[in-house]
Amino acid sequence: MNAESVRARMHALREAGARLRARAPSARLATLARALDRWSDPQSSWRRKLESKLPAATGFAPETVRRGLAIALADWNGAALERLAERELGALRAASAGDPAFPGFELCAVVLAGAIPMPTLKAIVAPLVLGTPVLVKPASRDPVTAELVARSLAELDPEVGACVALAPLSRSDADAQAALLESDCVVVYGDDATVSSLAARATASRRFVGHGHRLSLAAFGPEVAHGETLAVAAAGLAQDVALWDQLGCLSPVALYAVGDARACDRIAESVAAGLAEASSRWPRGEIDAASAARFAHARADAELRAASGTGVSLYADRDGGWCVVREVDAEPRPAPLHRFLRVHPVADARALAAAIAPHARHLAGVALAGFGAQRAELARSLRGSGATYVCAPGSLQAPPLEWESEGRGVLASLARPPSSRRAPSGSLL
Amino acid sequence: MLTQESGDPARAELDREVLRWMREPEWRRDDARFESLALRLFAHQFEHCAPYRRFCEGRGLTPRSLRGSDEIPAVPTGAFKEIALTSFPLARARHCFRTSGTSVRARGALHLDTLELYEASLLPSFRRHVLPDLPEGGRARIVVLAPSADEVPDSSLSHMFAVVLRELGDAASGWFVRGGELDADALLSALDAACAAATPVAVCGTAFAFVHALDALSRRGRGLVLPRGSRALETGGFKGRSRVLTRDELYGEIESRLGIPAARIVNQYGMTELGSQFYDSVLVDPGAPRRKLAPPWTRIRIVDPLSGEQRQGGREGAIVVQDLANTGSVFAVQTADLGVARGDGFELIGREPGAEERGCSIALDELLGGAT
Repeated sequence: MNAESVRARMHALREAGARLRARAPSARLATLARALDRWSDPQSSWRRKLESKLPAATGFAPETVRRGLAIALADWNGAALERLAERELGALRAASAGDPAFPGFELCAVVLAGAIPMPTLKAIVAPLVLGTPVLVKPASRDPVTAELVARSLAELDPEVGACVALAPLSRSDADAQAALLESDCVVVYGDDATVSSLAARATASRRFVGHGHRLSLAAFGPEVAHGETLAVAAAGLAQDVALWDQLGCLSPVALYAVGDARACDRIAESVAAGLAEASSRWPRGEIDAASAARFAHARADAELRAASGTGVSLYADRDGGWCVVREVDAEPRPAPLHRFLRVHPVADARALAAAIAPHARHLAGVALAGFGAQRAELARSLRGSGATYVCAPGSLQAPPLEWESEGRGVLASLARPPSSRRAPSGSLL
Repeated sequence: MLTQESGDPARAELDREVLRWMREPEWRRDDARFESLALRLFAHQFEHCAPYRRFCEGRGLTPRSLRGSDEIPAVPTGAFKEIALTSFPLARARHCFRTSGTSVRARGALHLDTLELYEASLLPSFRRHVLPDLPEGGRARIVVLAPSADEVPDSSLSHMFAVVLRELGDAASGWFVRGGELDADALLSALDAACAAATPVAVCGTAFAFVHALDALSRRGRGLVLPRGSRALETGGFKGRSRVLTRDELYGEIESRLGIPAARIVNQYGMTELGSQFYDSVLVDPGAPRRKLAPPWTRIRIVDPLSGEQRQGGREGAIVVQDLANTGSVFAVQTADLGVARGDGFELIGREPGAEERGCSIALDELLGGAT
C-alpha cells in the first residue's frame, strides 16, 4: 500500500467518522459494547477464528493462545467498556465544564507491534468510543487480529466497520509511513527506538501516544514461603510467565523472594515445578534462533555459575522449554524471555524497593503474594515507582480493560484537551 | 615463558604443539591433529579448571565419556564476567584482558599466564587476511583507529594492534586515538602523507572509531582517495554508541571518504574470551563470496542453540568457537552470536535493524546498557 492509497483511506475514514459522530454517543458505545461481548465469549465465531488462526500466524502454541485469550478477555466485555467510558469520559466531561464538543480527534492512526492480540483489540475499539475512526497498521508479527477485529465490527454494524481500515505498510516505505503520520492522533506500539523515531516524524499530529517496551516483575513475601499458599502463588506466577511465552509487557521476568536463603530456595523450587506443569499444559511456541541463542547462553551462564559454587541454582527442562535460576543477589541480569525466570533473594521490603527501583522507567505490572497487611502499602509504593498494574500471581495476563501501560487512561489518552475542542462536532456521552 | 614457569609439563607440551602449528608457514586443515589436541586440551582443562569440570560433570561429560571434540562443553562468553576460568593457578596470571562494557555489570576477563599463544595466533591470521600481499620481511603502513595498548592495557584489541604494529608496521604507522578521542588532525596528516608518497595504507580500527573518523573528514569537507592497494579492517559493533550504521552504510562511507572499495574492507570477528580471531575472506580470496575464515587451530560450530546439535544444510544457528589458542582458559566458547556455515568459512547473521519483535517486553540486557 503506497502513500496515495493511505491518504485515500484516511479521507474515507474521515467521512465515515463524521457519520459515526452523527449518531448518539450512547448508541455508538452500545455497538462497541456488543462487539466486546462477542470477543469475550469463547464460543463466538470471531473468537474461534482468532484462536484457530493466531497460532500459525504468530508461532504461539494453540493451547497457549486459547488459555491466554480465555483469561485476558473473560472480563473484557460490554459492561466493562461501559464502566470504562463512564469513568474516563465522565471525568473528562467534568473537567471540560460542560463543553459539549467532541472529545476525540478526527482520525487516529494506530501502528501495532508484536504478536499479542489484546492490545490490538483495545487499540481499535478505544478511539471508536470517542467517535474517532481508526487507520490501523497491523503488526508484521500478527497479520490476523486487526483484520478479524475490523471484520467483526463491520459484521455487527457496517457504519462502525467503515470507521476502521487497515494499512498494511511496508516498513521501508517512508512515504506511506509519512502519510499515516499525518493523522491528527497517532498511537504507536513498539520498541522504544521505534516509538521515538515515529514520534519525531509525527510532526503534523496533535497527539502522539507511544507504548514502548515495558517489563513486569513479581515479589513473594514472607507469608507465602511454605506449603499450599506457596504452591498456589507459584502456579499462578508460572501461568503469568508461560502465557504469551513471557513476551508480553505484563510477563514477569524476575521474582523477588523476600526472606532468608532457604525461603528463596523453596520459592525457586516451587516456581520451577509450577513452570514445568504450566509448560506441559501450555507448551512454548516457536522460538527464533536469536532468541534461542540468548536463552541458551543465559542458561549455560547460570549452569556454570552454579557449578562454580556461587550458590546459584538452576532448574530447567531438558529441551530448553523453560528455565528458573535462583540467584544469590538482587543484581539485575539479562532476561532472555521465552520462559526464563530469575528468582532473586531480598532481605525485606526496603531491599525489595531498592531492587525494583532501577526498573522504574520500564515497569508495567507487579504480581504480589504473601505480604499480608503490608500489601496495600507495598502496592502504593510500587505504583509510585512506575507500576501501572499490581495484582496477585496468576492475574498479570488478565489486566482489567481500563489498564493502560502508561497510566494515562485508555480513553483519556486519546481525548483532546477541552480548549482545543472545535470541529468536528459531537458530544460527550 | 609459560613452559618454564608453569611447572606443568602436560600444559607445556600442549602449548608447544599448538605453537608449532601456528608457526607453520602453510595453513592446512588437519582434522586428526585438531581432534587429538582438542581432546588432550579438554582433559587438561577438565582437570585444572574446577568450575569447568563441575559444569561438564553436570552435563555428564568427562574426558572418559567424550566421543569426540564436538561434544566438548562450551562455556558461554557471559561466564567470563564472573568466574575466573583458568586452567592454571590464578596467582600465575601475567595478563588480564577485559571485555568492553558498561559500569552496570562486571566486565568479562580473560586471565593469561602467557601471551605467547595469543600473539602467535593473531599474527599469521592478521597477515594472511589483511596483508596477504606483504612480502616476507616487509612492513606496511598501518593506521590504527583505537587507543594504544599503553592507554588501555586490558584491551585485547589494542594489544593485538600493538603486536601488529610492532611486527608488521613501518616507521610512520601508529595510533590515532588518544585519551579516548580521535586525533583527527594527526590522522589526516598521516593519510595525506601516505597519499603524497603513494604508499598504500591499512586503516584498522573499531567500527565506531571509523564513524568518528568519517565524521571528522565530513566536518572538514575532506574526501580522500587513499593510494591503490589500501585496505581497511574494522571490528566491533555500535552498541551504546551515538551513531549507528549498517555494515553496508559504513562500507559505503569508507569508500566515499577514504577511497577504499568495499571489496577491500575486512571485518574481523573476535572477542576478548578467545585467543584467535576470524577475518573476512575478501583479500585472501577476492572474487569469491565474502565469508569469515578460521585458522586451522580453531573450529567454528554452528549449532542449534537449545540442543547444541550441529546445524546442517546452511541453516543459521548459534556460533560455538573451539580454539586451541585458549590453552590457559577453556577451549570451547559459546557465543550469543548467530551464524551460518558458508563453504570453508562462515557468515555472521546480524539482526535486521528495526526488525519488529513478537512481544512488548524487553530483554533486561537492553536495559542494562547492552553490556558485552
